[in-house]
Order: sequence, then C-alpha cells, then structure tokens
Amino acid sequence: MQHFARNLMASAALALMVGCAATGENTGADQTGVQQDATAQPGITAQPGQDAYSYAYGQAPSGYDTYDASGGSAGGRPGQAVAGAGGAVSADRIVYFDFDSAEIRPESQTIIESNARSLAGNRRIITQLEGHTDERGSREYNIALGERRANAVRQIMIALGVSPQQVRVVSYGEERPAAGGQSEQSYALNRRVEIVY
Amino acid sequence: MLLFGVGSFARAELTIDVTKGIEGGGIPIAIAPFGGGAPEDIAGTIAADLQRTGKFAPQSSGSPADYSVTGQAQPGGSRGYVVQFQLNGAQGSQLLNLSFDVPANQLRPVAHRISDLIYEKITGERGLAGTRIAYVAGGGGSWYLVVADADGQNPRMILRSGQPIMSPAWSPDGARLAYVSFEGRRPQIVVQDVYNGGRRVVSAAPGINGAPSWSPDGRRLAFTLSKDGNPEIYALDLAAQNPVRLTSSGSIDTEPVWLPDGSIVFTSDRGGSPQLYRIGSGGGAAQRLTFEGDYNARPSVSPDGRYIAMVHRRGGRFHIAALDLQTRQFRVLTAGGLDESPSFAPNGKMIIYSNGQRLTAVSVDGSIKQDFALRGNGRDPVWAPYGR
Repeated sequence: MQHFARNLMASAALALMVGCAATGENTGADQTGVQQDATAQPGITAQPGQDAYSYAYGQAPSGYDTYDASGGSAGGRPGQAVAGAGGAVSADRIVYFDFDSAEIRPESQTIIESNARSLAGNRRIITQLEGHTDERGSREYNIALGERRANAVRQIMIALGVSPQQVRVVSYGEERPAAGGQSEQSYALNRRVEIVY
Repeated sequence: MLLFGVGSFARAELTIDVTKGIEGGGIPIAIAPFGGGAPEDIAGTIAADLQRTGKFAPQSSGSPADYSVTGQAQPGGSRGYVVQFQLNGAQGSQLLNLSFDVPANQLRPVAHRISDLIYEKITGERGLAGTRIAYVAGGGGSWYLVVADADGQNPRMILRSGQPIMSPAWSPDGARLAYVSFEGRRPQIVVQDVYNGGRRVVSAAPGINGAPSWSPDGRRLAFTLSKDGNPEIYALDLAAQNPVRLTSSGSIDTEPVWLPDGSIVFTSDRGGSPQLYRIGSGGGAAQRLTFEGDYNARPSVSPDGRYIAMVHRRGGRFHIAALDLQTRQFRVLTAGGLDESPSFAPNGKMIIYSNGQRLTAVSVDGSIKQDFALRGNGRDPVWAPYGR
C-alpha cells in the first residue's frame, strides 16, 4: 500500500499514474484500505480519518452511518456557518460569491489583500484555495464553478505579488457545504473560497 | 402508497415506494404464496418487484386477474433448494413453467429472476428486478460508495472515505466502477473492481479530475481535467498512458458521456449558459443539442442512444428532462426542485436520479415514478448495466 502514497506524490506532474490495488480479501476489515495521504504538502495538514478503504462486494459491510444534510446535524445547521473542509477557517480567510458568479465582490478585496500580504511576505507558505458552491444544479458542473471562483481569487493574489507556486487550487463544488439546509442564507454561506494555510 | 420489502434492518437500507403508476392501476396478476418452507418470502418479493414496475397490480391468490403465478420452494436438488413456478394466463393457458436449483442465499436473487421472467413474458421488455444500483451516501466527514439491489435491498458499502466521493460510473460489463475520490484532499479518478475491491488511480492531474464515463466497449474513459487552465474533456485508453484532449475552449467543458456510436455529449458554458453539446470520438467541432432554458447539464444517454436525460433548470427549479434525439422532442419529467444526476436503467425505460438527499426513478415518458425510501441519504445514483 505504500506504493500508493508514493506514486501519488510522484505523479503530481504527471497526468496519469497507476496505483496498486487494495483488495478486500477475506476480512473486510480496515487493513483492506488504501493508505494515507497524497498531500504531504507544506501548509496542508494531513488529517486523521481521511483514508479511503475499499471492500470486495462479497465482503462489503451492509451497514454504514447515515447522514442527513438537511436535518441540521453533523454537516452544519441551517443558515449557520460551521468549520470548513479541513477544520475551522476563520472569517478573514473566506471570500463569498453571488449566485452563479465568480466575480469578486468589492468587500472581499480587503480579505484577499491581507492574505496576499502574508503570503508575499513569506514565500515558504503554500496556500490552498478551496472553491465551493451551493447545492443547486449539477454536481460536476459545480466542481467547475468552484474552481472558477478559486482561480478568481488566485489571479488577484498573483497580481498582488504572491508567487504562483505558492497558490494551489482545489474545488469541492457542493460536496462540502459550510451550512446545512436549503435557505438562501445557507446557500450564500456555501458559495465561497476558503484560503487555507 | 405501498411500502415494500423491508426484509432486514441494516442501517441505511433502501426501500422503494411506488408513488405513481400507469392509468388504471396496472395489469392484475394473482400471486399465490410459495409452499415448501423456504426461509424467504418469494411470492412477496415477486409481488413487490412487479408492483414497483408500475405496470402490474399484484393481487392475492384467488382474486380474478389476467395472470396468475403459483410456485414452490422446497429443500432438495443438488444445491439446497428447488424453486419452481408457473405463470398462467386468464384462460388457464400455461405461459411459463420453470425450475431452479439454488443455495439458500440465492433465494432472493431467484425471486428477482422470476419477476423478470414474468415481466418479460407479459410486456416484451427486459426487466430490472435482477439489476443493481450504485450511489454515494454520507457526507460531512464520512462518505460511502454503496452498491444495492434494484429494489434497494442488500446495500453493500464498497468504499468508505473521510473525503468526498463523487460521480460513480459503471463499466459496460458491470464489474468495475470509476469514480472521483478526494482522498488526500485532491480529486483523483479511481477505477475499482467491484468484486475484489482492487483499485487503480487512472488520473491524478493537477486541478479537476472529474466526471468519468466509460466508452461503450469499456476500453476508454472520458473525463474532465483542468490541468491546462480550464476544464476540458479528455479520453484515456485504459491500456495506454496519456489522455487525449478532445475539446478546446476557454469555458467550462465537463460531464462527458458516450453515445453508442462513439460520439460524446458533454456540458459546456461556451455559449454563456451551460448547455449540452456533441463532438465526435476524436473531438472536432461541437454541435449544440439543447436550446430549452438557460441550464441543461449532466447528460445521461439511454442504452440505445435515442434519449439524453439531463438536469434542466426553469424558473429557478432543477428538473430531470429528456431529449429524444430522433424526434427532437424535449420533455420535462419531474416536478423539480433540486433534481440532479440522472442515470438510465439498462432497459432504457427508467431514469434514476437524486435530489441530493433521496433517490427516485421516473419512466422516460414520465408516467411511472418510484421513490427509494432511504434511511440516510443517497445521491449520484447510477443504474448498473445488465450482465456480470
């Protein structure tokens, strides 16, 4: 399984890689999994619990935890922001967007500038810009919209003197809402770019 | 509304609920309990399967009906149980009379097989009772890729991850699933063998790795990469190393799916709003396919290539719609809201979709609707092909 992680890291510049298989053999237990972690990147902490485990169909568990994003439990309460994708992201590192838009609002300029100053002042910091959308519409199209938002922030940062090598972009689309529920208020909180470093 | 088939109580199990059937309630068919003492309610499973098609109205035995089913399941034969059944027409004419030797754990699959045989005999269409679906469940910290029978029973979690899982796609032989996994906090396209659990990362380029789709021969995957700056469609020969780029625009190109002739339909906002376009197997000039409304995305192609189902927005609501490529008729199939992720059943008659929380199936003509009642959520459903 170690090949998997190494290959992933080595493949950053490649378009393609072949990882090794993780098989569910006989036990269906956790050692069947694919191990840690593609991102031994500076500035991004590997979090516990982010491994993926695969199971052979014949041994795959039939029970799993349920989760209801509309119910307002684990994934965030309606209309109220909670921790971001990789843990708490403070408000001065979140840029919000209008519906169907990747345009930077005037009031977001300050947030981007202050983060750009920190990054330009320390070239060893790598930031990940995580683009998000609200839940409406097609999931993969929303991945593309989230990337467009993150790239809009990235461009401004680079114009402000941040090195392109310091800024990575990843889009989660609608997969990691900050707020649960189907209100306009929740949607507004979910259309965002989180500046993670 | 009838609720069927809660056989066991695994958490997050699906059951199905027929909310809409054809006019007049369907073809009456009397199904007698199977004698013989097998530990499985075979007649109940057949009744539920036929009810779920929306085309039949199962009755208890003895009621007047157009068709009747009788059978037995008893210990014996070379494998543990012998299941036999007869399908008779109203005048007593025998239409089917078959027998199966099965082990105890195949009694439910055999019930589904019998349902499909009855369905096919009477309607002339292939049945879906013996097929399966895959979908994504969880969220907020734990994500699951689940394979379940087409009646929602027997859910199996074939992948769990602490990061999002998206966009599962069955290989044409039904043995593999391609999907997007964010493990390591970046998207990758993974192909997983459903039966042995083995996985292979087929794309981990910088940027988006999204929306995998199998070519009809199962040898190639089309998907979305943004490594060159914006999302473009690529095709990868799985025996080769490098994906070939098929689109070139400054806009979003994503969600490719193959037609049986090898051409590719995808979503693009090159015209200002997301619409569906078609290109040849090697790329080239794109032909716009959709003109209704300002948002048509996430195409799914029927197995015969005639229909394209999609996510369609009108009046701020998202619906599932279908375009008939032969007649150019465009039909909105669902009442709408947050409907997304349509996927055709292998007989081309039903489309399964999600509203982000629950799964529903609708017939291509909009006349039949089935809700999958989940304990927990389900999204990104994909109906598996026939065969295995």
